[in-house]
Amino acid sequence: MSKNKKIFFQILLVFAVLGFLGILINNLIINLTRTGIGFNFNWLTKPASFSLAEHPLPYSPSDSYAWALFMGWMNSLKVIISSLVLATCIGTLIGFLRVGKNSFFRIITAGYITVIRQTPLLIQLMCWYFVGFLSIRNNSFLNITNILNISNKGIELFGFSFSSEFSALLVGLSIFSSAFIAEVIRGGIQSVPLGQWEAFRSLGISEKHGFIKIIIPQALPAFIPGLTSQYLNLAKNSTLAIAIGYADIYAINDTIINQTGRAVECFIILLCSFLILNLLITKIMGIIDKSIMKSRI
Amino acid sequence: MNNINPNLNTNSFIKIKKFLLSKSKYNFCNFIFFVISISLIFNFLTWIFINSNWKVVTSNLNLYAFGSFPPDQQWRPILWFFSLLSITFITVYGPKWNWIRKNLIFGWIGTVPLGIYLLNGGLGLNPVMTRHWGGLTLTILITSCSILFSLPIGILLALCKRSSIFLIQKLSSFYIDVMRAVPLIAVLFFGQLLIPLFLPVGLEIDRVWRAIIAFTFFVSAYIAEDIRGGLQSIPNNQIEAAKSLGLNKYQINIFILIPQALRVALPAITNQLIGLFQNTSLMSILGLMELLGVSRSILANPEFIGQYIEVYIWLASVYWLFCTIMAFVSKKLEQKLTINKGY
Repeated sequence: MSKNKKIFFQILLVFAVLGFLGILINNLIINLTRTGIGFNFNWLTKPASFSLAEHPLPYSPSDSYAWALFMGWMNSLKVIISSLVLATCIGTLIGFLRVGKNSFFRIITAGYITVIRQTPLLIQLMCWYFVGFLSIRNNSFLNITNILNISNKGIELFGFSFSSEFSALLVGLSIFSSAFIAEVIRGGIQSVPLGQWEAFRSLGISEKHGFIKIIIPQALPAFIPGLTSQYLNLAKNSTLAIAIGYADIYAINDTIINQTGRAVECFIILLCSFLILNLLITKIMGIIDKSIMKSRI
Repeated sequence: MNNINPNLNTNSFIKIKKFLLSKSKYNFCNFIFFVISISLIFNFLTWIFINSNWKVVTSNLNLYAFGSFPPDQQWRPILWFFSLLSITFITVYGPKWNWIRKNLIFGWIGTVPLGIYLLNGGLGLNPVMTRHWGGLTLTILITSCSILFSLPIGILLALCKRSSIFLIQKLSSFYIDVMRAVPLIAVLFFGQLLIPLFLPVGLEIDRVWRAIIAFTFFVSAYIAEDIRGGLQSIPNNQIEAAKSLGLNKYQINIFILIPQALRVALPAITNQLIGLFQNTSLMSILGLMELLGVSRSILANPEFIGQYIEVYIWLASVYWLFCTIMAFVSKKLEQKLTINKGY
């Protein structure tokens, strides 16, 4: 295409897109005025008047909607970070066993990965919540005095207690993500050429030492992109908390929409909070990637 | 694309025997794990066959399959299932006749309008309202419609993202980035809430179609990225060769680039399809009576209260079975496409 034609085409496209958006926004305004809701963010300062079962900072129903949303954000962040750590640990372990020499563990982990990946996360979460935590009858499933106590009220570890909703979400998300992370780890390890294994073996380095010192450092850069996308998925999947009644950012948006009917504003808020979250995860992983690359040279 | 593990063959069992008899230093540790897993599996099996009560599943099979579809009309979803099954069978095991190979894609595309026609009625069939659609029928319908609609949109978005025109490229990458940043449940929820707000007064779309539209919006962004990966994998000399043959831009895209990109992206697209099939369960939170929604209403029935484990195991195995079938078909398709690469 010649340059003039391109510019003409772009101008035409701008008008088409603007026209389409104009029609949509016009419809939106008509519909919003018809239902008498309107569009503004003034309601954020009004009292929320709903209570939250879980809030990391002091919160009462008389606090503003904005503060409730912030609590939701904190709750989301809490569950995302903790399940991110747990999922990485489990996933790495499973990934290593999946590529290991031991055929028994290879079969078990392969079965684990297939079953976890081929069933919907929502069912797994509900299973962990309703079957795993709520159906513990005689108040305690596992009790090691003062250290760990798993009961139908959640998990208590070193005096920190976590609600059963949080625990179910944590376990479900971690197990689900760990299967995907294990595949990332496996792919990364298999991307190291076989010659590297042969080389360290021929140098007389032990299997364990060679694996840690030779194979893992070379596989690390291959882990990072896969892990980043899995972490992003985990963050997005954490919104399924609403199914088991954990007050995360999406659940609070949902409650607010039910109370005030402000769907458009809440959508914008949710969009922004997830864009920030994604940016955060991508930036942190970028920093990790850079430091790995630096240490290699 | 590794849903089916290649290691799980008879060879592995010989290896197990070998390793159980060998004198490795991990043998004791292995043995303990082996015993624990076997006892776990044994407990699980005894629970499944002896202690559990499968009445909650067996007496509701009709509900799981069709939801509240009128009983005298249930031959329609059954017919649709049968057509899907037969076309799957033809794809995997069918003869290698040329005309079958060429028309198979139209057969697959045709199953979706057929399904909509059979479920919706009209044109000689009794019309059935969408609120009576449910169960596995609805799950499969949402999946197939969404994937059919999102494939062309995904291809278009991928081509736009590679376009040399600045604005088109920026617009499509903005759309893809935003859609990939938002969680699916939010897209679905706001699809239910916001789509009516953006429509002119008087025009209404019912809940099932709003769900399908929301899924299409969401999945097309992911498919666009997969296809873009496929497009990038095509060597540049393909385009040069096509140009030297005198093909114009559109012919290059349609006959050279897209078919090859689709073939490369097939495993990734299958993963999206499997993900989509699993994610239709999210619609149960938003009140649609698909497979999980039906199960939730069954569990709310006083007769079956508290029988979570049976229902969840049943659901998990249904989802697992369908996902495995999809993965299997895609693998077979991939093999066939690679074989045909030569000519």
